[in-house]
Amino acid sequence: MPDRILKGEAMIHFDNLGKAWPDGTKALSDISLHIPRGQFCVILGPSGAGKSTLLRAVNGLMHPTQGLVRIDGTALTHATQKQLRRRIAMIHQHFNLTSRLSVAANVLSGLLPVVSTPRALTGWFRSEHRRKACGLLQRVGLAPTHLKRRAGDLSGGQQQRVGIARAFMLDPEIVLADEPVASLDPKISRDILTLIRDAAREQNTTVLCSLHQIDLAREFGDRIVGMRDGKIVFDGTPAEFTDERVSALYHGAHWEDPPKKAEPEAAGFELAHV
Amino acid sequence: MQKPIPVPAPGSQVHWHLDAPYSLKHLLIIAAILIVLILTGQRTEMDKMVMMTTEAAGKLLGVADDSQVVRGLSRVATSMWPPVFGETEEISRLPEFKRDQLPFFAHVEVQERVEQRMNSETLQLEPHSESVEVLVKPVGYVVTVFIKMIETLEIALWGTIIAVILSAPLAYFAARNYSPNQASYTAARGFISLLRSAPELIVALFLVLAYGFGPIAGVLALGLHAAGFLGKFYAEDIENADKKPQEALEAIGAGKLKTLWYGVVPQVLPQYIAYTAYILDRNLRMATVIGLVGAGGIGQELKGRFDMFQYGHVMTILIAIFIFVFILDQLSARIRNKLI
Repeated sequence: MPDRILKGEAMIHFDNLGKAWPDGTKALSDISLHIPRGQFCVILGPSGAGKSTLLRAVNGLMHPTQGLVRIDGTALTHATQKQLRRRIAMIHQHFNLTSRLSVAANVLSGLLPVVSTPRALTGWFRSEHRRKACGLLQRVGLAPTHLKRRAGDLSGGQQQRVGIARAFMLDPEIVLADEPVASLDPKISRDILTLIRDAAREQNTTVLCSLHQIDLAREFGDRIVGMRDGKIVFDGTPAEFTDERVSALYHGAHWEDPPKKAEPEAAGFELAHV
Repeated sequence: MQKPIPVPAPGSQVHWHLDAPYSLKHLLIIAAILIVLILTGQRTEMDKMVMMTTEAAGKLLGVADDSQVVRGLSRVATSMWPPVFGETEEISRLPEFKRDQLPFFAHVEVQERVEQRMNSETLQLEPHSESVEVLVKPVGYVVTVFIKMIETLEIALWGTIIAVILSAPLAYFAARNYSPNQASYTAARGFISLLRSAPELIVALFLVLAYGFGPIAGVLALGLHAAGFLGKFYAEDIENADKKPQEALEAIGAGKLKTLWYGVVPQVLPQYIAYTAYILDRNLRMATVIGLVGAGGIGQELKGRFDMFQYGHVMTILIAIFIFVFILDQLSARIRNKLI
């Protein structure tokens, strides 16, 4: 494993992480990862590989049954979770905006952990906060006319832009992007990922992004982590993620099968054209 | 060209089978329902109802000689007709009467009044005639009824406001995913059931004892009962709301109240408004009845006139209630069409 991807202080550290669901199925087993500050790390793998579960372990939406997660040296526990969550933003596959609320209110809701309850309930946010929301919406490429529109009325790509603006409201140190482009078309997917990558670079933000498009993973990741059946089966730079590695990741035991015979729908990925 | 439906060749095995749609079980269920209907029908005198109604129909058609129902109804009709619209008051009993400032539409009349008086010498009752000046207000009672109707509206409105104010915190504690713990959830659900199970009229009866006659008891009775309804509906809406925005806010550690306010309330608001409009509609109807036990509004006026055998006044009130409910029905239907 090259040093390049391990260099620097660990922002996220998975220490022998495991998760078993109540019915006994193992979602994650023996995950040990060390993600340095400022890295854009892509988690790649077929559906059901545990990508989302791994991401949700970082902000405590999922509690592991084994091992632990350290954020910037602090172990994530029930006691530290509330403080740590403020430093971790999340971008969701289905955008997870409040669709009947305005775009502006959705972006401002990213500030809720630090805004006083009376301010939150009345929606009377400080002027510097409102200015920041406007700045971020401008940064993600929306127009002033979008501010008062209902979030649910926007197109998918625009909604994800709002989601990104919301995520960056608290200047996060970590951004978790859970299949941020899974429901968007290829052109918009590229725009959205560029936006996340550039915004993260500007602030030296660590990004943990799950994807299922191999070409996008190669293009945007500083590092690619391949997962299958809750285990890490590949960890390296995009250059090391060769076509053989791809078929090993997706076809497992049948990796020697030519990819043409495989059913892309069943495996849930697009074939890479590299 | 229609092709014949292929039939399994004779002798070929069919492994599927389809049961007949009815069985003995269904017959037994129908028999049980019939027995229950016959027993309960006897206890509620449904047979007698059919007999009496047939008799009344016969009387109206001139076939039957007599009908208790028709007699009763005609007695009610004759005593209630005509409705009373006006009011007369003796001027000598009006302390603040000003002859040059008559109320609207009113005029002064001199009426002869004949009274039986005891003659102190003969100790006999003698007719004694006296002329009194009276103030005649031709639509005076209509105005009184109108004012009472407005009071009824106000009771309904405030009953609804109190219900909304009470049910909002109740719903928070009665929503499984927001209630702080199991105890608060059970307590809130229990309280909601209690509120819902107590009918307004009975609650009003007790509140009249506590707060005295008048609208306070009416407002509280309507408010408490409706709070039970709204609390349950609001709580269920909170539980069934889209989880995605809530998860996004939970992920950054926004806290329960703020998550509810930004992730749930905007989504369920149209439903909340629809429920609240329904409760307002219901309260408007109930407010006309609730005065029967002394809890203010038009019902209290109705009860008073009924007890004093002033059936003409009762008729006026009934006409007013009919017009009022009719107009409200039209209005609420129109508003609902606009909202949905």
